[in-house]
Amino acid sequence: MQGLLSVRGLEKHFGGLAAVQKVDLDLQEGVTTALVGPNGAGKTTLFNLITGNIVPDSGTVTVAGAAVTGRRPHEIARLGVARSFQDLRLFGRMTVRDNVLAAIEHGAWFWQPGGGAARRAREAAVESALERTGLSHLAKARAVDLSYAETKFLSVARILATGARIWLLDEPASGLDLNSRNRFVALVREAVAAGVTVCLIEHNLDIVTELADRIAFLDRGAKLAEGEPAAILRDPELIAIYFGERRP
Amino acid sequence: MIAYLLNLATLATVFGILAASLNLLIGYAGIFSMAHAVFFGLGAYAGAQIAMLLVPDVLLACLAAAAVAGLLSLCLALPALRVRGEYFVVASLGLQMVAITVFSEAHAVTGGHGGLVGIPPATLFGLNIGDPGAFLLVCLAVLALVLLGIRVLMRGSFGRSLMAIRDSESAAKAFGKDVPRIKTLAVGLGCALAGVAGALFAFYMAFVNVESFTLEQSVLVMAMVIIGGTATLAGPLIGVLLLLLLPAGLSFLTFIPPTEIGAVQQFIYGLAMTLLMIFRPAGIAGLSTGRR
Repeated sequence: MQGLLSVRGLEKHFGGLAAVQKVDLDLQEGVTTALVGPNGAGKTTLFNLITGNIVPDSGTVTVAGAAVTGRRPHEIARLGVARSFQDLRLFGRMTVRDNVLAAIEHGAWFWQPGGGAARRAREAAVESALERTGLSHLAKARAVDLSYAETKFLSVARILATGARIWLLDEPASGLDLNSRNRFVALVREAVAAGVTVCLIEHNLDIVTELADRIAFLDRGAKLAEGEPAAILRDPELIAIYFGERRP
Repeated sequence: MIAYLLNLATLATVFGILAASLNLLIGYAGIFSMAHAVFFGLGAYAGAQIAMLLVPDVLLACLAAAAVAGLLSLCLALPALRVRGEYFVVASLGLQMVAITVFSEAHAVTGGHGGLVGIPPATLFGLNIGDPGAFLLVCLAVLALVLLGIRVLMRGSFGRSLMAIRDSESAAKAFGKDVPRIKTLAVGLGCALAGVAGALFAFYMAFVNVESFTLEQSVLVMAMVIIGGTATLAGPLIGVLLLLLLPAGLSFLTFIPPTEIGAVQQFIYGLAMTLLMIFRPAGIAGLSTGRR
């Protein structure tokens, strides 16, 4: 069954390197899918291809049935596809509040469309996102002055506020302490329960087990397997590849 | 003495407008243009031509200068859409060199190397404001308007979009921002304001030629913004005061021989910039870059 976000035969080469090879992937509505694989498997490149940061050599990407292959990143984002970055890419010199507000202002002119009602709705979305991520008390702090865990939650707050239907999270919980990690898991579960479709790249297999309904296993740009976490994580062949012990 | 101080104040005000306009690009949008003097020049020539051919009304001249500089800034904005960072700096440097050649050769419009002579004294709604005191007041009013406009814009969604692009262009795109369009608007606005500064400069000097719009001028204005502090309202003004008033101040130090003032000035500039970049890289009025 075609997913809310569907990838078919996606390929990308960088010179002689096949970064992504004929990958098919379906993100079903309200389902959390984890992309798992060793470093260099092509997971982040796949996110970049889906979100329009890189143009694929071949293959298609559709969102809710509409082809988005070759469209510009901001156009794909406006279809309800939000992503985080491994290196976060916060708006460092801006305040926490402005980081979130800037993430939901799409108008390119000197003003935003929709007048006062739309402005109040944006402000409410920002306050809600800050509250849910526990950043309300840091609203006026600059992103560059936050602690590591706070920057992680800010990157989630930006996505939360957008109201996007599809979240692509690139190593969102890496380096978090136990308490922050649990808060992060609860946040994602809450979003999924509200109907959000999540795809996450994560090296922490505990988090994958806790959050993912499905796992797609990638290695050297190709999808080797896809299925339920229990099946994938018990496959000795895949685990050996994941820990760099064996290559097919 | 008063005439001398009025001269300094007027030049500082005109350069304040110019530096504030470049701060819009460098400080808020992260666009490092080495061609800002070109748009200052375009505004000066446009303003001078309006004054000489039509009417020396300062408002009309400023509007025409803003329109000419803003529209021709597309020459800068188009490469800005395609290249980033250091590539854009080089592209703007190329534009600066081309523009100087055009300014020197387009005799009919710019007067070539000889420039445009005999620009009539400024008027405003028919009133003569050619008197240095009155003209300074007009320049201060324009500076106040420009600073107010920038403050309002930068506190709104346009400012947030610009700063988001400055801090992370890829994240800004990922959150739905039409980066090329926003950058084009920023370049258009910044260059239009540079044009306004140019028109005021032309009226004040009553003469303009290519020597005022060279690469050295672009570098000087960039230094004003960076030394004063980017992305702040006060920063460019502080930079203007320092770089414009320092040479004047040095001339009062009688123990420095007049022939050595240039060398002392260069030494102080160089030392100040080096120390500033080490101890306060965001400029005098700039915010620190954070703890990490």
